[in-house]
Amino acid sequence: MKVTEAMDYLSSRLIESGVDQWDLIGSESQSLSLELFERKPKNSEISFSRGIGVRLFRKQKPGYSYTEQFTTASLDQCLADALDHTELTDTLDLNLPDKETLPKFELYDYDPEIEEINFDQLKNFSLEIEDLARNETSDIENIPYLGAGKSTGRMFLRNSKGVDYSRHSGSLSAGIGVLLSRGDSRKMGSYSSGGRKLSALKADKIATTAVERGSGLLGAEPVKSGMYTILLRNRIASQLFSMFSSIFYAESAQKGGSRLNGRLGETIACGALNLISDPFQYDLPGSALFDGEGVVSRKIPVIEFGIFNSFLYNLESANREKVSPTGNGTRGYSGKAGTSFSNLIVTPDNHNFDGLCTSAKKMLVIEKLEGGAGCSAVSGEISIGAQGFLLENGKKVQPVDRIVLSGNFFDWIKNIQMISDSWSESFSSIKVPDLVISGVQVAG
Amino acid sequence: MISENLAQKVIGTGLELKADFVEIFIEETRDAKVTFRDSKIETATSGTDFGIGVRLLYGTESAYGFTSDDSEESLIYLTKQIAANRKTNHETTVAPVISFKTKNFEPVQRPELDPRNVGQKAKLTLLKTADKSARSSSPHIAQVSISAFDSESQIWIYNSEGLKVNDNRIRCRFSVSVTAEKNGERFSASENPGALRGFEFFESLDISKLAKEAAESSLRMLDAGYIEGKKMPVILGNGFGGVIFHEACGHPLETEAIRRKASPFTGKLGQQIANTKVTAIDDGTIQNSWGSISVDDEGHPPEKTVLIKDGILTSYISDRVGASEVNIRRTGSARRQSYQYAPVSRMRNTYIDAGNDSIEDMIHSIEDGLYAMKMGGGSVNPATGEFNFAVQEGYEIKNGKLGRPVRGASLIGRGHEVLPKISMVGEDLELTSGMCGASSGSVPVTVGQPTLKVDEILVGGR
Repeated sequence: MKVTEAMDYLSSRLIESGVDQWDLIGSESQSLSLELFERKPKNSEISFSRGIGVRLFRKQKPGYSYTEQFTTASLDQCLADALDHTELTDTLDLNLPDKETLPKFELYDYDPEIEEINFDQLKNFSLEIEDLARNETSDIENIPYLGAGKSTGRMFLRNSKGVDYSRHSGSLSAGIGVLLSRGDSRKMGSYSSGGRKLSALKADKIATTAVERGSGLLGAEPVKSGMYTILLRNRIASQLFSMFSSIFYAESAQKGGSRLNGRLGETIACGALNLISDPFQYDLPGSALFDGEGVVSRKIPVIEFGIFNSFLYNLESANREKVSPTGNGTRGYSGKAGTSFSNLIVTPDNHNFDGLCTSAKKMLVIEKLEGGAGCSAVSGEISIGAQGFLLENGKKVQPVDRIVLSGNFFDWIKNIQMISDSWSESFSSIKVPDLVISGVQVAG
Repeated sequence: MISENLAQKVIGTGLELKADFVEIFIEETRDAKVTFRDSKIETATSGTDFGIGVRLLYGTESAYGFTSDDSEESLIYLTKQIAANRKTNHETTVAPVISFKTKNFEPVQRPELDPRNVGQKAKLTLLKTADKSARSSSPHIAQVSISAFDSESQIWIYNSEGLKVNDNRIRCRFSVSVTAEKNGERFSASENPGALRGFEFFESLDISKLAKEAAESSLRMLDAGYIEGKKMPVILGNGFGGVIFHEACGHPLETEAIRRKASPFTGKLGQQIANTKVTAIDDGTIQNSWGSISVDDEGHPPEKTVLIKDGILTSYISDRVGASEVNIRRTGSARRQSYQYAPVSRMRNTYIDAGNDSIEDMIHSIEDGLYAMKMGGGSVNPATGEFNFAVQEGYEIKNGKLGRPVRGASLIGRGHEVLPKISMVGEDLELTSGMCGASSGSVPVTVGQPTLKVDEILVGGR
């Protein structure tokens, strides 16, 4: 049975069951990937995946279930499980969305060219990256990670109110991790890039960025403990916002997981900071015309000139506050509904990177964060390892490693001194420019 | 489940396409979970994961594919597609028909109560008990999130050496996370025990005590101050403190890292890599333990693997391919999250063995340091050994005495540089359950250790 056939079957069974309302998420995907080591394809993988998730409401009580097995018996079991679960759950006063006309916006989330990309092309592209990396430096000791892949998929969303949307997507990625050594110092430099077609990936950019990231840090030493101004590179700033993105979700605030609860309209960040959930960015992976629950997407200003303007809502969290959902619901076939930014966008300012580097006499440029376990979205606490460079009067003095940055996210976004004019080039739904932040505690 | 006849055809197709080895992994997993938050049932979910993975080996090069469609047409097509990427020419060979022989093994679990038969409803009492217990600890408890999860996996493995294996794996896990709040400050702490057992595992837990422990830990941190960041001696608490060894030393000891020459331990077998007080073990055979396996995901029996004996590196952790490339024996450590991943060498129950030092002696030996009683999560770069871990609950040590609670501390260093600095090893070995993520997905593991003293680690604080 195909996904759409299985969804047809479940739809008719759901109508027969007499439940209040329901929705179905179906998905099918294919992928091809390979990893090379010492110029040989060490691992390769192809896949054909599929699954269907059911959410239904009986007497206003929700029940969830899913299956990857598309036999009549499995689909019946899936439905029976979801119905059983309504015997356990508490009531949830929630209305699934009606069918609406979707916004007219070209997403570019699928390029038919991807279907023609084969194993040999991915292999040759990977080898080109390796050759370019080795031409960059003789410090490469080993290349433990090198590979490329592609995936395509279709997502189908239906509900009892007549919603019947689908989305076709596809992307390619390639990356390299080089182990560099000089004397006793060893550093990994990694970079991967993605896009909708192979020509969007630049082998030279992938190779040189990975090598620069590793070689620049060879010979690194800690700096003295103390208070520093730091410059978070745009990809690192994106990483930071990603770790704390849930504080802007209404469901987090409602469940005690965000200190922003009750602070709408307050100044929570520096006046230059504008944070947006933007589903209408051409060729970014978070762009979408509808969210994971079938609500039509829209652009939501979350922070405007430092003032907290809006939480992001899915159906459940919006219903709880009796407001409209913002189109930020997420749902895969095997999970319950959650919340997410579509694309998390911090608007660039007009300062170039060199201007940021000379904005303080002494600053630490952060090129790498190590793990996120010491960062808590609940408390805002940050305690995280970092690597980068010490700058004095805009000039590199030394590479730095084995340091820990400490503070609180809510203090950091207030202490942003400058925002650059550019995002990183990565194929990512999180786009934050370089940020200069003052008063950061550093242990070294 | 596919028929033995179809398994023969798939393997035959792979061999005809000149693979040296063909393996089929079939999985049907039923999982079920109830979550409780805001003092009410938040969700009740369940699902069926089903699929077939086919692996062809060409020497030690792996070509893998998977599908949820178990028809003959789909599986033969999949096998041909996998081979199409690896064939050096388009010639085929005539392969013999493989006769399978069932391989029996000593099970590491004997579940008493099948969660499917008990049902999700039986979890409600446990969830309500935990919620009540945590909330009764203090008016400062702002949120309690609890879940009870169970899964039952039926696994079948066939390979071109004639192996046929069937395994049934039942796991249960209970999680309670408590958030305390005072003056706008919030802290969370959690307890997450799990076992390779049936529903009787839930019944064996002291749910009230678990929830109270999480609540009290979050409350203690509400009143904690900050530690000054610098290098200092650190006592690592028992149990989850073992996560540092797991991440910073265990992963680099997997042949998956060794064969890529991406480990500081490459070529160090037989060498002194740790203090002589350190003996470290990865054991897949502990009865009912969350990280145990009756048989690994290649159908090989697990073992108790001594990794480090009295400071000397004695073994790596290996799968079929890794053992062949690194030229060591197979340790029965091939693991994967599901049929959607090819198996690679992974840890099971990994711990530093008990010594004979006391915590009191450790504390008395430190003038200015940190007692990291409970660790949070962390990360490591296996190639360089660089790690970073958060301390969930910590205390200052001043002049040989335990001092005030401290928060926001993290530990940073390199695994291979810390091992020689472990100078005292306690008697209080404890294992705790967790999930480990790597190239073959997220698998259940336990980490563990007795309380340890490390002479110097960089501590991040304020």
